Amino acid sequence: MIDLSVQPLDEKRILISGIPSVLAAMLRELPEILELRDSPDARARLHPNPTAGSDNINREWHQLADPELRHLFVSAGETVTRDLTALTADKENGDAWQVAFPIEHVPAWMNALNQARLILGEVHKIDEAEMNRTDFDPQSPKHMAALRVHLLGYLLHLFVELDSAHEPGKHI
Amino acid sequence: MALPIETGQPGVIVIGETEPKDELSMPWNVIVHNDPINLMSYVAMVFMRVFGYPRARAETLMLEVHQKGRSLVWSGGRERAELYVHQLHSYQLLATMEKSGA
Repeated sequence: MIDLSVQPLDEKRILISGIPSVLAAMLRELPEILELRDSPDARARLHPNPTAGSDNINREWHQLADPELRHLFVSAGETVTRDLTALTADKENGDAWQVAFPIEHVPAWMNALNQARLILGEVHKIDEAEMNRTDFDPQSPKHMAALRVHLLGYLLHLFVELDSAHEPGKHI
Repeated sequence: MALPIETGQPGVIVIGETEPKDELSMPWNVIVHNDPINLMSYVAMVFMRVFGYPRARAETLMLEVHQKGRSLVWSGGRERAELYVHQLHSYQLLATMEKSGA
């Protein structure tokens, strides 16, 4: 049995171990998914309006805030892409994979994993009903995208648990 | 602000609205909207990080977002509201701000 976990390896590094082959394949696809961040739907989701009705505020906001946000998202993706070059077989976990990276990269991992989930959600028009689906047709791109959103979400959830295991106020 | 207005009639004054409410002093609400993708645990974590809320409050607000579709997560001055919305967007939450009572 494969046991996916996200744990401190030592004081300076985090280890994701027990990564099933299917999730490892998805992680390798992350850079490709993240490149879709500038598609119109994904861009609208990643750079939402700050007000519901004020066109002036929204326009000014996008001019000022979007470049900084985009830099944050691109930078997170680049960090994770570099870390993923160290993805190797996890010999203690059968047919699994593992990757270690500096603890300072945790925010970038959380950002990139969530970015990828949101981008998949927008590109494939995944709604609440689709997220509640329990049967997945391998021939359906939408179903497979929803499955990827769930699996990447499980990994993201492990990062959240890692964060909450630390002293309140001190975040990784 | 309501100010007294001279009517010209001895002893009679009228209290009237002479200028609009001071909009600058009106608080702004920061609203977080539900979306089908963001994890509930992730949203609660973001509320703890951005606002410094204790876990119980963060989870209550997260559940309100999930169940009611939106939650007023903070109210106060405009500049701080803008800062919070920007931070929430950096965590990829759907957040907007609006004038209180708008």
